[in-house]
Amino acid sequence: MRGDRCPRVLVCLALAAPAWCLPKPADWVPARWPWADAASLDLIGGGPINCLLVRPATAEFAAAAANGGLATLAVVVPTDDVLATVRGDLAAKVTGIALEGSFPAETIAAVRRAAGDAPVIELGPRSGMLAYLGAPILATDQGVWPGMAEMDRARAGPSGSAWIDTNTGFIRGMRAATGAPLWIANQPPTKTVVSAARYLEAIADAGMSGARWAIALDEDFAARLAKRDPKAMADWGRMMTMASYFERHPEWRAMQEYGKLALVQDPAKGGLLSGGILDMIAVKHAPVRPIAPADLKPGALKDASLAVNLDAGALTPEEQAVLRDFTRSGGTLLTGPPGWTDEGPAAGKITLDRPELERLNDIWREVNSMVGRRNLGVRLFNAASMLSNFLVSGDGRTAVLHLVNYSDFPVDNVSVQFLGNYKRAILLTPDGVEKPLQLYQTEDGWGADIDKVTVAASVRLEQ
Amino acid sequence: MMTRREWIAAISAAPLLRGATAAPVAPVSITKCASYDEDVTAKLGLLFDQLGGLGGLVSGKTVTIKINMTGAPSIRLQGLAPALTHYVHPKVIGGVAYHLGKAGAKRIRFVESAWASAGPLEDTMLDSGWNVRSLQSAATGVEFENTNALGKSKTYARLTVPGQAYMYPAYDLNRAFEDTDVFISLAKLKNHATCGVTLSLKNCFGSLPASIYGDNAGVDGPNENPTAGRDRVGHRGLRQPSKSAPQELHFGANHDPGYRVPHIVADVVAARPIHLAIVEGIESMAGGEGPWIQGVRTVKPGVLVAGLNPVCTDAVCTAVMGYNPRAERGTAPFQTCDNTLLLAEGHGVGAADLGRIDVRGVPIAEALYRYDS
Repeated sequence: MRGDRCPRVLVCLALAAPAWCLPKPADWVPARWPWADAASLDLIGGGPINCLLVRPATAEFAAAAANGGLATLAVVVPTDDVLATVRGDLAAKVTGIALEGSFPAETIAAVRRAAGDAPVIELGPRSGMLAYLGAPILATDQGVWPGMAEMDRARAGPSGSAWIDTNTGFIRGMRAATGAPLWIANQPPTKTVVSAARYLEAIADAGMSGARWAIALDEDFAARLAKRDPKAMADWGRMMTMASYFERHPEWRAMQEYGKLALVQDPAKGGLLSGGILDMIAVKHAPVRPIAPADLKPGALKDASLAVNLDAGALTPEEQAVLRDFTRSGGTLLTGPPGWTDEGPAAGKITLDRPELERLNDIWREVNSMVGRRNLGVRLFNAASMLSNFLVSGDGRTAVLHLVNYSDFPVDNVSVQFLGNYKRAILLTPDGVEKPLQLYQTEDGWGADIDKVTVAASVRLEQ
Repeated sequence: MMTRREWIAAISAAPLLRGATAAPVAPVSITKCASYDEDVTAKLGLLFDQLGGLGGLVSGKTVTIKINMTGAPSIRLQGLAPALTHYVHPKVIGGVAYHLGKAGAKRIRFVESAWASAGPLEDTMLDSGWNVRSLQSAATGVEFENTNALGKSKTYARLTVPGQAYMYPAYDLNRAFEDTDVFISLAKLKNHATCGVTLSLKNCFGSLPASIYGDNAGVDGPNENPTAGRDRVGHRGLRQPSKSAPQELHFGANHDPGYRVPHIVADVVAARPIHLAIVEGIESMAGGEGPWIQGVRTVKPGVLVAGLNPVCTDAVCTAVMGYNPRAERGTAPFQTCDNTLLLAEGHGVGAADLGRIDVRGVPIAEALYRYDS
């Protein structure tokens, strides 16, 4: 974290940045850096970014970054002369290597050997991430661009509901399965004007799920920022504020997902999707705990009352026994229709096409019916343009509800109803507001009202 | 070319339209209210005082108020709160509750068939960003009922259309519509894609429970978990309501929503008389009834209208919107539909004749806000 780095910066300036003065990889806050001049580092001053992805890497820039306490990762792509490029980058004294794209396993192994102690981060397809569990950071360059999906005019009707493109389902599933630091390193859509709000949403989309989005700027924004255009500088400042928000609360990354509903899903299959079952449940604001089949051990379903097992045929006898015990103790278990298997995304894809969605509908209808309008930990009202994530601390005494608004308009009057005997509710916002919320009793727990959510806000509940 | 079925349906309605001149009239009150930041409750007080006050109507009575919350609360125009565009605003609802309580109403029940749901109406209100606790504290005895299904009752009420019905001889509704002394329609001042305008009369189309009249209503009996609108039964006549309810008189004769919905509305308001019509036009939308209609836009007419006869009230509202309330099909705002006001007039509900209506408070000319401009 930036806070860890600052006290050492002056020392580093004098000592030409030894590796020990840089933040640990798990604390890296990444950004794709489109500039190669040391003067561009002024943009970072005091902000949360502490790891720059650069291409190409130069010795001068790497030294300047290191002197500022910033890690540099040289981005290498498959079309490069990979080993030669890596050796050149290492000679330029970059902190590590980021391999972006699909590389043969032997190439990756060769790069790791060449890198020695320098970190090598895979920015590859989602499907390859689990092969590198030992890496300091799990990362992918595949992601959807977060935001409200455009409504199909042909289907617009009074029942129409907003769909939100998000990476949260994938991130939550992967983090639950691995616990590893995770980066989403997708880039803004090309030939599109990207508003500042969309950047904030991308940062918050990853942040509320415990991951980090590797900040990447569209060409227009980068050019305006390079010229220090006042509007671009203001937007950049808002992005840094948003990124800082999640970095100021490292305890959130250590908290567990909470919900009376558990979703047993293979992180190597359906868990790789954006727009899969987990995201569909999230749009309903039902708190759900993703559980990898390998984690189905006694106690894994503690506090859950409902569970969905997507691919019943894929479980081992021991894993099946855990679900059997769950139902015997009163839990409700929903399994896929007979013959239904969790196939995950097609090769190279992370979203579902229409036939695949229709297939998923077989099980979604049942899940939707089971979830209903029950309070499974927390219920949200007036939050149609939002996604949320509900986390609890290990001792269960503190919970945090993250809210991210994906519309271009602030949302007024959000109501939150939650189970549990919490005594205090505090609203936190990226701009540093910490405001107590009035609690009131509801039918099955407690409620609190939030006046306005611009892009992100959190409610901390304390017992 | 009219089919035989259409002809039968048409002649069955024709005699009723001849009785228009006998339709009753009642005063209509208009006041201006430029924004929700004004003292809306005080403006409503003025509106009701101009009608002679509410005490005689509601004191010691159970009052049921059908509000307008059309469509899912998640669907918004330009991200605006639904109450700023197509729902009745909660400040108006709270203000009405306050005045009803002050006038001695014993029980004040707000009802609406919340879109595609049988869950508590309070959930839909919360999803619309409303403060339900504030509404409940506006008066004593305030409660809410989602009339899309049975709700808190065990049976449905059957309300019969007096005389010759246009579409259905009677309608099975949530009991809240029958177990009441006074019935109020609290509507929004809007255009409607199917009916031209939606005011206090059209608001009552939403009284029909989707459990019986919805696209996924049960075939034999109600589906107490409805998840769809009333397109197939009400708008297009592609299926009958649940067999437990009275069936359509001339099923298959007409599938034109511009014919069907106005006729059903006229039936419903004849079967369930409206004692007080209130139309909120502080902020609204023009061009349609909800954000799902292409080309809608926000408008700020800045008016509140109320009257003791819904047809008279809607006639004044239609005039305030810049239209002729007696316009025939083919003329704005009824370009593609029948005129609900005239059909209700045909049922003897009230007169849509501005010449016979005593307009109190702000004159129509001063309240005029042209929806088509």
